[in-house]
Amino acid sequence: MQALTNNLNPTPVTDQLVARCKKGDVRAFRELYDAYSTAMYNICLRMTGNVSDAEDTLQEAFIQVFGNIQRLEQAGSITAWIKRIVVNHCLSHLRRKKVYFEEVEEIEVEEEQSVDEAGFSGTVQAVKEAIAALPVGYKTVLNLYLFEEYSHREIANMLDISESTVKTQYMRAKEKVRQMVKERI
Amino acid sequence: MSEKNLEDFIRQHRAGFEEEGPSPRVWKGLEQQLKAQQRPAGVVHMLKRHWLKAAAVLVLVVNSVMIYQFLQFKKQQQDLGTIAPELQEARVYYTSQIEQRLDDIRKYPPEALGLDSTARKELELRNDTYDMLEKELQANPGNERIRSAMVRYYQLKLDLLDKILEELQAKQPATKTFNHHEREI
Repeated sequence: MQALTNNLNPTPVTDQLVARCKKGDVRAFRELYDAYSTAMYNICLRMTGNVSDAEDTLQEAFIQVFGNIQRLEQAGSITAWIKRIVVNHCLSHLRRKKVYFEEVEEIEVEEEQSVDEAGFSGTVQAVKEAIAALPVGYKTVLNLYLFEEYSHREIANMLDISESTVKTQYMRAKEKVRQMVKERI
Repeated sequence: MSEKNLEDFIRQHRAGFEEEGPSPRVWKGLEQQLKAQQRPAGVVHMLKRHWLKAAAVLVLVVNSVMIYQFLQFKKQQQDLGTIAPELQEARVYYTSQIEQRLDDIRKYPPEALGLDSTARKELELRNDTYDMLEKELQANPGNERIRSAMVRYYQLKLDLLDKILEELQAKQPATKTFNHHEREI
């Protein structure tokens, strides 16, 4: 049995629920949607930046989830499976909007880290606004690493850029957030 | 608010970064998609669930086609019996007699027979002359001359084989004692 660790959606996703989905039970699809929609919608919202695009992307992603549920071999891996589908749809959405993820010049990561380690002060609202104000490329890398907890290598594969570029963009994004939050205080 | 770094801050305030779920329009859209897909997908889904039954039906259909083709083939073979029933009786008799003599002749080594492969092939029951006569008979079932020619063909072949056997027995008796074949027709 796999439970989604999201307080807003405590419904556990069981093997039985997945089995019912595989039989095409619409009520089971609804239960699955209820269990994951909030967490997945938050991913979409962070990645696309607005409610309308987030909802459209979420809908597209769930159409794929329902259509491919037969391919899911283990109910235990359903969270990672759905999350990856949602993230892929978000990235497709960004690409459709002509967002390109390009290689950047490497910077000294150690130097950047030392700045960040000096201390961080701020509020949740200030951080949210600062992240939202980031350039799309930086924001995508930061969201995938900080919130969706993908590794630099996984993000590099998703965006088809080098791992060092991901690290550099992440450090720059973090520094920009820190500066924007500091300016607000 | 002072934190060690941005990562720690986000981890500690993760719930504050979560928005409420999507609007009901997302599920409504999904529900419509599910209903629309269920009709055409139903056939595919049924096939997936009942693949064994589908396979059994397929085997039955293939078998029926094969049995039909076999019966058609047999019917073609039996055409002579339909076209000329009295000739069919003669054919059964002569065929068995000829095959019996051919079996006896085959017991002798080819060098004792003193015939080349082409001549030996000509001795066989079904040769070009036989095939031609049978085709002619099927094309002209009422033609008495062709019927007579067919019977003559059998008789000549039987006579020839008898003579060959007599000579062989005179020159080099086979290990097995041959019966004298008497013709009844």
